[in-house]
Amino acid sequence: MTDIIKVENLVEVYSDGTKAVDDISFSVKEGEFFGFLGPNGAGKSTTIKILTTLLRKTSGTVTIAGYDVEKQAADIRKIIGVQSQDTTVDGDLTGRENITLQGHFHQMKTEDIKKRVNELLRLVGLEEAADRRGRNYSGGMKKRLDLATALVHKPKILFLDEPTTGLDPQSRSTIWSYLEKLNKEEDITIFLTTQYLEEADKLCKRLSIIDVGKIVASGSPIELKREIGADSIRIALENCKKDNANAKELIKTLTDVTEIIDSEECLTVYAKNAGLLIADLVRALDSRDIRIASVTFSSPSLDDVFMKHTGRRIRTEEFVKAPSSMWSGGRR
Amino acid sequence: MTLLSDTRYIFVRYLTKLVRTPILLFFSLFQPILFLVLFTQLLNKLSSFPGVLPTVNGVPIPYLEFAAAGIVMQNAFGSALQSGNSIVADIDSGFLQKMLVTPLSRPAILLGRLSSDAFRVVVQTAIILALGYALGVAEHQSFYVATGVVGILLIFFTLAFFGLAWSGISLALGMKTRSSETVFAIGGVITFPLLFLSPSLFPLNFLPPWVQTVSMFNPVSYCVTATRALMINGYQWSTILPAWGVIGLVALITMSATLYQFRKVVS
Repeated sequence: MTDIIKVENLVEVYSDGTKAVDDISFSVKEGEFFGFLGPNGAGKSTTIKILTTLLRKTSGTVTIAGYDVEKQAADIRKIIGVQSQDTTVDGDLTGRENITLQGHFHQMKTEDIKKRVNELLRLVGLEEAADRRGRNYSGGMKKRLDLATALVHKPKILFLDEPTTGLDPQSRSTIWSYLEKLNKEEDITIFLTTQYLEEADKLCKRLSIIDVGKIVASGSPIELKREIGADSIRIALENCKKDNANAKELIKTLTDVTEIIDSEECLTVYAKNAGLLIADLVRALDSRDIRIASVTFSSPSLDDVFMKHTGRRIRTEEFVKAPSSMWSGGRR
Repeated sequence: MTLLSDTRYIFVRYLTKLVRTPILLFFSLFQPILFLVLFTQLLNKLSSFPGVLPTVNGVPIPYLEFAAAGIVMQNAFGSALQSGNSIVADIDSGFLQKMLVTPLSRPAILLGRLSSDAFRVVVQTAIILALGYALGVAEHQSFYVATGVVGILLIFFTLAFFGLAWSGISLALGMKTRSSETVFAIGGVITFPLLFLSPSLFPLNFLPPWVQTVSMFNPVSYCVTATRALMINGYQWSTILPAWGVIGLVALITMSATLYQFRKVVS
């Protein structure tokens, strides 16, 4: 399979000197579901803006379906669909009108648009709300409509900049199922950015972890997690200050423990098989009268991968902008 | 070909938005109508002082008819200044970006906006003139357009052209500052002085000498005088053509600024 997106040594320096994207290279194969995972301000949106012809790069080469992103921008715009981070639905137009207008922007024939609009309304489950104005949609409905507008011309590549940020869990999983369907059934290559670990884990066949403008790791979610090689056990102690050193000494002696580090809760222990170790661990601490507040263990997550490469965790702001949609939901 | 059809889609989008937010239409028509109804009542007596208002067949025209030209001008101002806010809204919401990632013709984005502004000015001017006519009839005053239907069309053209020239200012400001508050504030600051420092609402010879001098450099003066000529006197080409020239000059400057800012936004 051929590389449909090819990025080499891409650099973006803003006029104030900020290096938003710092020499990244990656490629995406045709039909692939590829993701950029990283915290806010990592350079994800900047990269997507360059790839979708909205922003001029400082240096490097970018080709989309063989077209040069700057010299052949017009050709690229015909074959890409883009959903930006802000939901861009025209609130004064109905759902149907929003998609239709986007079809006109793509110079489609009116009868083709009509057919496609009905298809898309069905796909994103907005048939009933189709003739209501966008401003009366809930947050989740707006996102779905926005997605539909990006698909009107049957794009070969779909760029999604944080498609579920600010959505409630239910709307999020609805969007996920559409995306998987699009990728599988319509064979659309999808490039997605996200700050949500589960999103990247669930959807992306391959991903790059990006932080402060640099790609720090790439691979399939499974490969990346395998690199970590160990489960993690997080232990909170009732008196962390007093018992910390003692506990560490003690845990070190247990078999299969690979690493112990200080963490927010108190200690994080990495071990081959956490499930088997936990009983021994609790018993050992108990025998020395070290009081445990809580113990949790988990298999390696992409957050651990991020942690390993950057020394920090991805902080996702989980606040949901739901209130505005709740207000408008009642009135029609 | 695509430029024309793309312009039409943008034009229709803005008009649809306007029609569906009647409050905006109401507010932009409110002030001119208030002027038309109240101001002309207050100054109704002006026509009984000889030599203040221009005369037709030796009889001074009613103030209502005199002021109408100034009021439609004020209306064109108001609508034009809302133009910049629409572009700010599209930038803020990301809709402009959404247009820019499609093959949509770039100039069509501006042309669609401008043509919807022009269309709006024409419709609002028609409403104000019709209302003026109704008022005139109700008060047994004359209110007619000396040049007839063609004259009305020429008035529409003059005001739409003028509106375009001023849309340019608010569009450029909107794209530069990305703040609708700034567009409104600056708009308000320039509208009223320009209106009052011109023979829009008072005859030139009624104004103090310094205002008369200033008004000679005020593009609004030329435009309002031409509109008034079409309403009262007839085809005074010596007034009308220079007015078009002045508007063209203003449009050239404001459109260059708009294009310059638009290029920066688009690239």
